[in-house]
Amino acid sequence: MLRKVRPTELETARLWLAARGLADVAPTPMLAARLTVRRRARLAAAVLPAAFLCANALVYVSALPIRPADDGFGTQRRWSLVVLTALVAGLVVGLSLLDRWVRRVDQQAGAELPRRATHSVRPGWRTVLGGPRAVLLAITYAGAAGLAIAALTMREGAARYAAVVLLIGLCGVAVGTAVRLRHVLTHPVVAADEGSLRADFLMRVEDAREVAVPTVVWSLPVVSVFDTGLDPWNTGWLVFIVLSVVALALITAGDGRRALAAQHGPGAR
Amino acid sequence: MIVIDSASPVPPFEQLRAQLAGQIQERTLAVGTRLPTIRRLAADLGLAVNTVGRAYRELEEAGLIETRGAAGSFVSAAGEQGRERARRAAAEYAAVIAGLGIDTTEAVRIVQAALTQRVPEVS
Repeated sequence: MLRKVRPTELETARLWLAARGLADVAPTPMLAARLTVRRRARLAAAVLPAAFLCANALVYVSALPIRPADDGFGTQRRWSLVVLTALVAGLVVGLSLLDRWVRRVDQQAGAELPRRATHSVRPGWRTVLGGPRAVLLAITYAGAAGLAIAALTMREGAARYAAVVLLIGLCGVAVGTAVRLRHVLTHPVVAADEGSLRADFLMRVEDAREVAVPTVVWSLPVVSVFDTGLDPWNTGWLVFIVLSVVALALITAGDGRRALAAQHGPGAR
Repeated sequence: MIVIDSASPVPPFEQLRAQLAGQIQERTLAVGTRLPTIRRLAADLGLAVNTVGRAYRELEEAGLIETRGAAGSFVSAAGEQGRERARRAAAEYAAVIAGLGIDTTEAVRIVQAALTQRVPEVS
């Protein structure tokens, strides 16, 4: 059974609906509960990667050579990679548990509905996530992996170690993102009528777009490969990060314009 | 949109079947449209998988949808062809009625009588 919803949560739900052109949809306790759990899970999902980045930096620094002449992968570095792998697993499990929490609240909300509504044709990933965002996400991960692999094969010493640390972190974040995106795209619809179905769709779109922001991919190089100063490799990383941030800003601005046009367009309700 | 009302006296599978059939006949769901999988629709509507499966089976038997193995269920072109056949038969009937000089009211009554006789055979 859903917990009692506070008036402030209902008010937040009303504002959320109004901001998305759904002022005609009633802010129900079910919607308020679903939005509240998402807000909390989103906060936790931002804290988890931040903690992961800090731990990643600590692991990296703890195994750096004391003398620049010390190269290769000694016992300490091997252990640090084991710890890092455990951290990555922890991150993926933590993110999955957050998704399970959201899903449980959604299931409870759905179970209390006397009527259930859904789409005859379910919106696909292109509609929910958007093609440009999906492409950007794929390019960002592929680009970061490509740069890390290139550094691993072409560089020596601490730079190679940094590349390994980055690759392990990147794999973990990629798996975490894939698990969360799959959850967002496949979890059941919770709606009772046309209004709540539209709200459910918008919630799904926002969840997917939130998951698809590659913040951790942009941050990972900062805690590992950037310790060598502004050499050509790090300049390459900086250009890569800045370009993908600009691309995401352009895509977000375009989505915002389209959403506004849809709200004020002739077919808008 | 599909809505299932658990308080309705109509069984859920019939609610689902009737809504999908209506959307296919009104062409809201075009020929070739891929329908949600049985499991996904069951989860979305809070129904048992068997309930959705029964609705899909009946739609398939009526020729409104077709299942292409693992690819899923699609709105069938057979329903559209059936409708076209009915239109052609109606045009032929109208031509016969005009040739015999039967008035429209009588012609409609003949059709209604034929349909009434036909219904018990179908159900």
